[in-house]
Amino acid sequence: MSAAPQNAAPASQTASSKVLSSPVLRFLARRLLYTAVVLLGVMVVVFALVQLVPGDPIRIALGTRYTPETYAALQAASGLDRPLPVQFFSYIGSALTGDLGVSFRNGAPVTLLLLERLPATLTLALGGLVVALLIAIPLGTLAALKEGGWADGVVRVLSQIGVSVPDFWMGMLLITLFSTVLGWLPSAGYTPFTQDPAGWLSHLLLPAVTVGLVSGAIMTRYVRAAVLDVAHAGVIRTARSKGLRRAVVLGRHLGRNALVPVLTIAGIQLATLLGGVIVVEVVFAWPGLGRMMFDAVSSRDYPVIQGAVLLIAVIFLLINLIVDLLYAIVDPRIRLA
Amino acid sequence: MSQLAPGAGAASGPAPETGTPGSRRASAWRLLLSSPTGAAGLVVLAVLILAAVTARWLAPYGPNDIDVPNALAPPSGRNWLGTDELGRDVFSRVLLAAEVSLQVALVSVAIALVVGVTFGVIAGYAGGWLDLVVMRSADVLFAFPILLLALAIVAIQGPAISSVMIAIGVVYTPIFARVARASTLSLRQEPYVQAARTMGVPTWQILLRHILPGISGPVTVQTSISLAFAILSEAALSFLGLGVQPPNPSWGRMLFDAQGFLASAWWMAVFPGLAILVTVLAFNLVGDAVRDVLDPRQRSMIESRRKR
Amino acid sequence: MRKHRQRRNRLARTLVAAASAVSLSLLAGCVGEGVDLGPASSDRLVRAAIGGAPDQLDPHQTSSYFSFQVLENVYDTLVEPDENLQMQPALAESWDISEDQLTWTFHLREGVTFHDGSDFTAEDVVYSYTRIIDEELANAWRLATVEEVTATGEYTVEIGVSQPTPNLLTAIGGFKGMAIVSEDNAESGDIAQHPIGTGPFSFRDSRDGDYIWLESNPDYWGGAPAVDGVQFSYISEPTTAIAALRSGEVDWTDSVPPQQVEALSRDQAIALDTLVSTDYWYLAMNQDREPWSDERVRQAVAYAVDRDSIAQVVGYGTAVVNQLAIPETSPWYAAYDRYSLDPGQAQELMDEAGVSEASMDLMVSTDYPETVTAAQVIADNLAAIGIDVSIRTLDMATWLDDQDQGEFDALIMGWLGNLDPDDYYYAQHHSEGPSNAQGYANPDVDELLDAGRQELDEDRRRELYAEAATLIADDVSYLYLYNPSVIQAHAQRLTGYEMRSDRAVRFRDVNLEEDA
Repeated sequence: MSAAPQNAAPASQTASSKVLSSPVLRFLARRLLYTAVVLLGVMVVVFALVQLVPGDPIRIALGTRYTPETYAALQAASGLDRPLPVQFFSYIGSALTGDLGVSFRNGAPVTLLLLERLPATLTLALGGLVVALLIAIPLGTLAALKEGGWADGVVRVLSQIGVSVPDFWMGMLLITLFSTVLGWLPSAGYTPFTQDPAGWLSHLLLPAVTVGLVSGAIMTRYVRAAVLDVAHAGVIRTARSKGLRRAVVLGRHLGRNALVPVLTIAGIQLATLLGGVIVVEVVFAWPGLGRMMFDAVSSRDYPVIQGAVLLIAVIFLLINLIVDLLYAIVDPRIRLA
Repeated sequence: MSQLAPGAGAASGPAPETGTPGSRRASAWRLLLSSPTGAAGLVVLAVLILAAVTARWLAPYGPNDIDVPNALAPPSGRNWLGTDELGRDVFSRVLLAAEVSLQVALVSVAIALVVGVTFGVIAGYAGGWLDLVVMRSADVLFAFPILLLALAIVAIQGPAISSVMIAIGVVYTPIFARVARASTLSLRQEPYVQAARTMGVPTWQILLRHILPGISGPVTVQTSISLAFAILSEAALSFLGLGVQPPNPSWGRMLFDAQGFLASAWWMAVFPGLAILVTVLAFNLVGDAVRDVLDPRQRSMIESRRKR
Repeated sequence: MRKHRQRRNRLARTLVAAASAVSLSLLAGCVGEGVDLGPASSDRLVRAAIGGAPDQLDPHQTSSYFSFQVLENVYDTLVEPDENLQMQPALAESWDISEDQLTWTFHLREGVTFHDGSDFTAEDVVYSYTRIIDEELANAWRLATVEEVTATGEYTVEIGVSQPTPNLLTAIGGFKGMAIVSEDNAESGDIAQHPIGTGPFSFRDSRDGDYIWLESNPDYWGGAPAVDGVQFSYISEPTTAIAALRSGEVDWTDSVPPQQVEALSRDQAIALDTLVSTDYWYLAMNQDREPWSDERVRQAVAYAVDRDSIAQVVGYGTAVVNQLAIPETSPWYAAYDRYSLDPGQAQELMDEAGVSEASMDLMVSTDYPETVTAAQVIADNLAAIGIDVSIRTLDMATWLDDQDQGEFDALIMGWLGNLDPDDYYYAQHHSEGPSNAQGYANPDVDELLDAGRQELDEDRRRELYAEAATLIADDVSYLYLYNPSVIQAHAQRLTGYEMRSDRAVRFRDVNLEEDA
């Protein structure tokens, strides 16, 4: 959605300071300030989530476990009995120090729960990204080189279909084919790599392909556009006019020049994937953040919902920041603009 | 669900202002229909909408007519797409679910469009701190993956179709704000808008007469793409049990129910999924074709090729 | 799940305090320490897939069946039901009852140790029961007649009751909710995450949402288990669980889709068994609301509901239709078949009651998908007699809350793990019963149920409950639907496992054959 890199750059150019003479440092400062502002906004939204629950969130979360004592204890633990501004600042303060409160369900610290689940989600998102790149780079390049030709058309339609497929349905179909019918791959679960690398891979394959197919369909378009941009730039034509062989031209110029925007998209896709794997995690019983969030929604464990949303948003912002900085370093035109 | 709408970035440019409005529109339609994928998308959409609107008369059975002895029957002359685990007709349910899905998509995108365009136009036209606040707020919402935020909103509101509409509406609002703002920004510099301002035409008139029509192109593209993604989001939420509640038919919920019968009743999983795929694809194809028509570079390319 | 309905107002007040204590220690513990990577792959580890994660592991506090599946293997009770649900010695080797039936003396097994090495003595029994009673925990009602629990020797415990209590053994040993816990473990709050019992397996490690790992207890009084341990993982989607079983990733699961039972039972690679359980599912109508207060309307509903279809779609041949609560396999079974599917009779009763149309707010829970399925059939059935059913699907917490507030016209739910007839009828249908949410009051039923609680003659007791049950069904306090089956499947290499109708999952006698 917002993912084109130029969109992610700050629009406000007012933060420039005379103290920072280097344009790189100035860009860095501006970008950090921007991220801090958005992060604050993100925390406001996450904080507001619980405030918006119609009724009393603790009462609702406790349900039949309600007693005045448990209520009072949870209220004290979550600070929901204090005045709103106090609550807000203490939430921000705690969140910044990594304290996200305790789960309403079992009293465990939310931060710990999140950290336990994060590796599984990261694994799936990275696995999906690899699959997506394996699909997008060849197809996107092919489409660009045959711009306007039938191959371009086929790739374009394929990518449209890929974008339109509900990922959980794709997951169900893959389970049916590869687990139920053929019995080649496990249909669910997760094995840490350190415990059993082969098991890790066989568990990862189906969910990663599910996630990667859709993501790859989207990335194919960006790869195509990136390659086209480079190809239209004079470099290639010049190189070819000098009589260099096509493959050499491709390898030397296209690859290097198109790599930057493609990596940018990959970074942003990774961030997107982290939040987008919820349903896939549910389908494949993958013990990641998405599955955890889904469980938290059904048990109305608001601190866990808040924590998961906040963590993923923060990762998203960080990846965006890193991508922008790398982009600025690699391609000076961006930062001087 | 992926949140990266394909090519959303490309939709942020303003529509080119060439020719008289009437002829422009006519040629736009002509071009749209000349693209094979766009025309196909339009035809499919028309059929879908017609089917959804007339579903209750078209469906051979009631969506909740239970017939347990006839449960899990494969597709046949009696039940074209087979029956589900309660003996309900899958064809009738897929058809009636189209009505629900399109309704949710339309309402939620309408929310996003009205709110987003309003804020975007105001931000773009007024500029200054107002612009800053609106766009930073949009940035904040962008930091949340779509389905994640929608899930959180539904968690607060409680699972219901209305929660889903609100949730999807909220998550798609910032993109409309961005598209509208970007177009407004460049339109503001157009000579005729500048002239109207110096002549003292009231702001609301300028917005209504010049800005809104001017941004309609990119907003249309965004609407079509957002409808596609709204249908996907609704299906995902219903699949998670947070959207349309049983016994009302919905594609996502039907897929959820189908999970227990993947080995024995493939038709329960295949047809609702295909329905989603076809609908989303149709919206995407139309959105794509509309963008091609409105994008000057692409447009000249299409035209030049046609002349060849 | 096991009766969470009694839980209202009884949750551990220590829950939160305990939990936050645990969290602090956990947090402190995780700083600067390596990550435990979970059980290493071992051929001797039983990998069991259950349907969901336990909410906590304190046997006295939890009401989750998922918790009890784990805890069954960690804890012991004084007595425990055998496969025929008859009470047998466990931590108590023998017991005597005084002449006046008011004092029970239990002689405890000597030389038993907890998993932390401390000795099991009479004090632990006193502590455990006192904790349940004094803190008004979930199962306090089971000990309603218990007046005092005293240690009269290091290995002797006396339980004094206020009236003859024929079902005391069932009350203290029916399931692991009455487990003997370690005082240190409970008082420190560690019990919720890291339980210490006397059972065949000890808690080793867990990762939230991922697994719980139990290690076999070499000092178990019943003999050390033959396997090295048990790892419980969570797979809520039955199809997925079965696929995992087939591919050899798990050795045992009870997450089996009933619709696949027939096909799976032909599969040579796995062993699948079904057994009619002691659970039952029912529909109840709110008798404080019109028109459900009229018993003719309720009877009309009872005649209109198609039980066979419901049993078919929830069980695919594994569920047994029943118009009372107690299944045919139980020694307490009584026959009753007043209600046949008869829309004509139903319509007549509606006309008699003067109700031509009504709308019914029917409350079900997503946590129990069978309720959602049954509700859809019932909605279709009742439309035929002019009742417009709107199904409200809630999460269990909200469902329970609305039930307690009386916010429903009708609801569908089940009662699980019942042994004594008192479990089946008293709390639900006595006018003072804690789970009588439907507002049923019949003095005759009250009298029968009270008498049943004290009757020592088993035949006379059976008659009392049969009579009460007939009245309950005639008045449609509950509209009984069916008894489901326990369905479990395991790999052929897992031997010695025995399925039980009370759904207790015991791994202490199993073995794993070398590579299969």
